[in-house]
Amino acid sequence: MTEAVIRLEGVHKRFGDLHVLRGIDLVVPAGSVVCVIGPSGSGKSTLLRCINLLEPIDSGRVVFEGKDITTSSRKELEVVRRGIGMVFQQFNLFPHKSVIENVSLAQRTVLKRSAEEARARSESMLERVGLSDKLEEYPERLSGGQQQRVAIARALAMDPHVMLFDEVTSALDPELIKEVLDVMRELANEGMTMIVVTHEIGFARDVANDVVFMDEGVIVEKGPVRRVIDAPREQRTKRFLGLVLEH
Amino acid sequence: MDIFFEQYFDFDVMRENFSDVLDAFWTTIQLALISGVLALLLGLILALLRAAPGRRMLPVRGLAIAYIDLFRGVPLLLVVLLISGSFPFLDFLPEWLRAPDMLGKPDIFWYGVLSIALTYGAYYAEVYRAGLEAVPLGQSEAAHSLGMSHTVALRHVIVPQAIRKVIPPMLNDFIALMKDTSLVQVIGVVEVVKAGREVQAETFNSSALTLAAVLFVLVTIPLARIVDRQISRQQMLTQRGVL
Repeated sequence: MTEAVIRLEGVHKRFGDLHVLRGIDLVVPAGSVVCVIGPSGSGKSTLLRCINLLEPIDSGRVVFEGKDITTSSRKELEVVRRGIGMVFQQFNLFPHKSVIENVSLAQRTVLKRSAEEARARSESMLERVGLSDKLEEYPERLSGGQQQRVAIARALAMDPHVMLFDEVTSALDPELIKEVLDVMRELANEGMTMIVVTHEIGFARDVANDVVFMDEGVIVEKGPVRRVIDAPREQRTKRFLGLVLEH
Repeated sequence: MDIFFEQYFDFDVMRENFSDVLDAFWTTIQLALISGVLALLLGLILALLRAAPGRRMLPVRGLAIAYIDLFRGVPLLLVVLLISGSFPFLDFLPEWLRAPDMLGKPDIFWYGVLSIALTYGAYYAEVYRAGLEAVPLGQSEAAHSLGMSHTVALRHVIVPQAIRKVIPPMLNDFIALMKDTSLVQVIGVVEVVKAGREVQAETFNSSALTLAAVLFVLVTIPLARIVDRQISRQQMLTQRGVL
């Protein structure tokens, strides 16, 4: 059996009175693509943000490459996060920095790469996402799809062992979604371990190994993509997929 | 009506005292620029200390807040008097602070600079705070997700964006700071208002003070226009989602 890159055990998360995650268990083996689907407010994004502990959890364990990181110090977390790339719904590019600076900044300041090394790495990552002609542009001049691809390149440049995608196409115009999904598809084919929170059921069906269906802070159903999407067992999963696949 | 113009716009009085008033205005400008720069630095430091994360930094945050509350609440004139009246006797202070004479300026000039910087640093800290809070949370999340430390994220991601946002209110406060430099005359610094007053006392005529007012306005009006331009530029950028 391949080693799990990410393992969540009994994770609970509360925001005040709101109990957002109610005991999440999840194993993500190396090289696998896990898609997390479910209605809004089901806790999908919070789950993702708990993996790199952008949100501290209230109980349970987060294990990254065999190491319990739940109670890591701030310094230890900084090291852990180098290994976990994250892409956000709103891109979150640094607006005061050019595309190449966006991709290079953390390489320089966190990994202490030299200017030349970081630039070379940034250029090759930006080429990979099809943006070699936009190196000196500023984010405001790019389309949403281009910005999101820069964000992917920025995360990849850190050589992460796993990538977290948080509804990365939800803020995009319909015609720009494909260019981002194509980059992610290619990444999956190259064997990157990925956890993808998404509303794109078609993408999940094509690319995912496992699908997790969440509702009201619990994992209702999880398993191989064919089983969960094409032959769901739980009523809630059936209802959700019925609503999503209808239109 | 003639008496009105004679009292306020006697060009002979203005002409005779022009170079004295202008010299004093140069002192006003120097007071404003030096204390303004110091206040900008102090304000940023205070704002960053106030935003320091974690439970261990709680006392630091508390001290920063206490400082800001204190110096926003105490009149600048009072600070000027407290510092100039007793600093010379505080023998535990280093010489450069107890009896400062940098750049060939007398100690009263530097007591004035220090008082203004300490007071306006508290105001600027609040302006910076507003700027730091206006940077979207997603920016620091992106920085942290890339493994950046709090300090690195502040230095390269958050503070540069915050500073862009606070330039207009900073310039506004600088106009206020510049006008407040006139308070320093109580400890004997001959800035422009003091120079005008001396002429007034000798001639029983206010025209030298009018000249001082004109000099102030000549500097503050362009500054106000710069603020307006900056604000409309920022509104445009905000609407386009850059800031």
